[in-house]
Amino acid sequence: MVRAIFGFALVLLSGCTTVVIDEYRRSDGELAKGDSVVILGRRHSSDYETEPDLIDCVGRQLHDPDAGLNIIPERQFVDAMYPWFEPRTAPMHLRSLDRMLENQELRQRLETYGVKYIIWIDGSTETTASAGSIGCSIGTGGAGCFGFGTWDKESDYEASVWDFRDQELSGKLSADAKGTSYMPAIVVPIPLIARVQTNACKGMALQLQEFLLPSQSTKQKS
Amino acid sequence: MANRKKGFPSAMRTGLVAAALLLGACSHTVRVDGEFPQPVGPQHPLTVGVYLSEDFREFTHHEDSEDREEWNISTGRAQENLFQTVLGSMFAETIPLGQYPANVPGDVELVIVPEIRELQFTMPRETRVNIFEVWIKYDMNAYAPNGDSVASWVITAYGKTPTAFLKSREAALAQAINVALRDAGATLYTGFARVPEMQVLIEEKRRALALEKIPSPTDSASATDAPVE
Repeated sequence: MVRAIFGFALVLLSGCTTVVIDEYRRSDGELAKGDSVVILGRRHSSDYETEPDLIDCVGRQLHDPDAGLNIIPERQFVDAMYPWFEPRTAPMHLRSLDRMLENQELRQRLETYGVKYIIWIDGSTETTASAGSIGCSIGTGGAGCFGFGTWDKESDYEASVWDFRDQELSGKLSADAKGTSYMPAIVVPIPLIARVQTNACKGMALQLQEFLLPSQSTKQKS
Repeated sequence: MANRKKGFPSAMRTGLVAAALLLGACSHTVRVDGEFPQPVGPQHPLTVGVYLSEDFREFTHHEDSEDREEWNISTGRAQENLFQTVLGSMFAETIPLGQYPANVPGDVELVIVPEIRELQFTMPRETRVNIFEVWIKYDMNAYAPNGDSVASWVITAYGKTPTAFLKSREAALAQAINVALRDAGATLYTGFARVPEMQVLIEEKRRALALEKIPSPTDSASATDAPVE
């Protein structure tokens, strides 16, 4: 009974989020033993930046060496390939990657890491609207807040999967998430936060897993 | 009375501490101590001396304008690390120079002296975009061992970082500066051979090294003419 009330309270304490995933697949994932995948954020735009914590989140969700899914952390990869995957030097198209691989040292290093797929994630999470106000006061009798605040957040991410060995685009998928958070305050503010970015991350990771390990996804479904 | 005498300096001290705290609240200090990875790629076949002046190694950007709070941003240590690491792996041999133009070792073919020209930054409050941005401009100077100027070019670096929950402005700015310094290293590494004078110098050195490998006709003739005993 207590557990049920606790669960119900948890549901109440978080705002609502909707996530929409779209996918375009040219070929299924083919990961052999020793292959690895790297997930990188696009950082070339001047007015937003793909958040490093989103890239970490997708990487953590996907990393499963027992299932044959080995994810190289973004920072480790970018440092090991310096300066070829910096915001201004990173290849924007597969053709640029091909040109970049004329650098034999770089090609060797990528092969040493066993890179099969490079996944580029581009997008960001933004607060789109906010309303309400909360006032707090402190006096001899105590302190307290009163009011109501609400804000909307939107995540819009697109992932492009490059097959490094075959030098082709294997697929694209997008994750759009929306959510509204609320903060009523009656003496104490109670935040009901919609975890928009986290849900976009989980949705995207799940879809990428189906893409990279199609055989395991079929087994799980059956 | 004695107590009053004792009380005055302590009150003054308290006042001074409070004043210092109030003044400190309006000034910000950022110290960037980045470590940078070694670039991956071929080395240019040159022996290069690198001179990082004291001003460069201890560079601090000071800003105290009317529409901004006071900022002291020290990037000297980080940019010293960056240039030592990047230039150190760009050439066949790199020799750090403690002084220049005196006492340049005989085998040095080129001396590189970077100078910082400008550092600018913007805060999310100023641009209404949730990003901290930094621009750094370096003057790169290349000299012959005798001190003659060989080439001068400019490196412009850009770094940004999104605002993050519970991260201080100082920490966010330091992170943006580190990104800008990495960008400076990337531009230096990928753009060096595109500087026309450097391109010519590298080509000449490559040609000279290739010629050294080919045995000269006189050498081969003397080898065949050598008497067999």
